[in-house]
Amino acid sequence: MTTIANSLMLLGGFIAILAGVGVLRFSTSYARFHAAGKASPVAFLVAGVGAAIELGASGAAHLVIAGGAMVLTVPVGVHLLFRAVHRTSNNAHLVIDELAPAERVSKQLATDPHQRRQK
Amino acid sequence: MIVAAICFFGIAGLCGTYRLLVGPSLADRVMALDLVLISLMGAIAVDSARRNDTTYLVLLVVIAIIGFTATAAASKFIEHEHDQSVEVAT
Repeated sequence: MTTIANSLMLLGGFIAILAGVGVLRFSTSYARFHAAGKASPVAFLVAGVGAAIELGASGAAHLVIAGGAMVLTVPVGVHLLFRAVHRTSNNAHLVIDELAPAERVSKQLATDPHQRRQK
Repeated sequence: MIVAAICFFGIAGLCGTYRLLVGPSLADRVMALDLVLISLMGAIAVDSARRNDTTYLVLLVVIAIIGFTATAAASKFIEHEHDQSVEVAT
């Protein structure tokens, strides 16, 4: 059992290193957000499962609460940052930009309340 | 083996710290701070398992919530600052 727990914690640390190398090496902000926002919650979850096996029920309860909070909040936070970067920088170099039409519609609705009522 | 896992989380935190200090934009720094906090959380969880002590596990919940609050507030700040600079320019 201890071997399984140790392997899971080691695997979590390895995934955390992958996230760190992604943040260190990728060239654009979007790619860095992608690396940090996806790999780091997974790293904590894997390491947390290992720690929960090792600690038993009382530790597992805390780890479940922390892991649940993290899975709920980290993607939302990364999405907010992503949208902030998209709104504040020039996106002409992007090949596919699926956020731009939605942003245009939402800006139109925010500035023209009559149109919202008609739709 | 467990010490190696803590070291791995520490290396990830160092990568995040580099990006926190160097990062070209404010959003990069905020994201790097998030990565550092998550690495700290992982290291705390693994260290609790190493010492078989659940005292510090309460910290994990607090750090998770503080990290989200910081990220959300910073992203709102980035957008707001940009809007104001556009209004001043036009």
